Amino acid sequence: MKAFVFTDPSIARHAGRFVWLEIDTEKAKNATFRRQFPVQALPTFFIVDPLDEQVAIRWVGGMNLGQLDRLLTGDPLAAKRRGRGIDARLAHADSVYGTGDNAAAATAYQAVLDEAPENWPGYARTVEALLYALSQTDAPEKCVAIAAQALPRLKGQPASGSAAAYGLDCAISLPATHPDRGRRITEFELAAREVLADTTLEIAADDRSGLYIALLGARSDARDSIGSRALAREWASFLEREAARARTPDQRAVFDPHRLSAYLEIGEPERAIPMLEQTQRDFPADYNPPARLAVAYQGLKRWPEALAASDSAMARAYGPRKLRIYDVRIDIQAAALDSTVAKRTLEEAIQYAEALPAGQRSESTIASFRKKLARFR
Amino acid sequence: MKNLLFGILSLIALAPAAAGAPSAPAKSVLPFISDDYTKALAQARARKLPLFIEAWAPW
Repeated sequence: MKAFVFTDPSIARHAGRFVWLEIDTEKAKNATFRRQFPVQALPTFFIVDPLDEQVAIRWVGGMNLGQLDRLLTGDPLAAKRRGRGIDARLAHADSVYGTGDNAAAATAYQAVLDEAPENWPGYARTVEALLYALSQTDAPEKCVAIAAQALPRLKGQPASGSAAAYGLDCAISLPATHPDRGRRITEFELAAREVLADTTLEIAADDRSGLYIALLGARSDARDSIGSRALAREWASFLEREAARARTPDQRAVFDPHRLSAYLEIGEPERAIPMLEQTQRDFPADYNPPARLAVAYQGLKRWPEALAASDSAMARAYGPRKLRIYDVRIDIQAAALDSTVAKRTLEEAIQYAEALPAGQRSESTIASFRKKLARFR
Repeated sequence: MKNLLFGILSLIALAPAAAGAPSAPAKSVLPFISDDYTKALAQARARKLPLFIEAWAPW
């Protein structure tokens, strides 16, 4: 969004219609904000009524220019303040979604869809929000049913990509004994393939990349290593083409993490190194390129270079993200040095995780580090 | 399901954190206030405008 959408002159017409705020969720000073506005995935966008600080609209995930333009057009607070009608019901569902209670949000969005008239313009946004909420509440059967219902209705729209990806991921999450599991996976794989093949669809390159990830999940579920490898090669080629089309260094760098994942998937992490070194030269203060270089060198078992890259990332990192860098560092140290050094780093990571302020502190991360520590004893 | 979400969503928010870097990130055409909810809320109240918030991370 920052590299591709917020830089586009066509949205400047909205500049005076909102007050614009960007919150780096990794910064400790924004922990209070995170407590007030729970954020479960990034990016998340909120339109907030300044009178009562209630969320009028919450959108999880990226948007293309058209989606953002539609979101900003009109009076986004009108429905919430009017308090009746389908748009007011949607505003209520959004406010529930804004609290992070996904089960309640799913119920509220379902109620909106149940009442929505045919050809209601809010359908795509509502169904995407419902699918996200369901995906977070361990309700794969319901998620599969909603996605299957939505796909024909969303045909030709960017949201069809999300419906296919959520549907496929939810189908994979169905119990192995579910009678429709195999059929549903096949259907959603086909749908995801159709979306990828339709180059006229206005779907952001990063969302297309997400479809490849969903498809890889299905191949992995089928234990199809040959199919996985072929798909990962296709994914890497797609990402390389998109990166080559980038007009600015930050547009190109957007593709770095998925390219790294694709190269790791095909067993060729060395292909990530020139790309990450370039990004490091372009953005020397950014901790991401050395953090990713550490992962690439780890994949190659080039331990001194992996440790040097990890040192560089650690020196620049901050916030909860630093814990992921710690995690990779611990594995590198355990492989390259000895377990005493790795154990010391792990203890340091736990201290760091426990010192994060509420809103950034993650009990599940602390628990997983403690579990890891128990293995070193 | 969360892995997929991470995959889809993590890519989108990636903008290099590049203070002092040779290549500055592309400039937004919208006048974003950075990391100051109190200030943005006060402005929104004074100007009677909705508050648009992007919650992101530099990864």
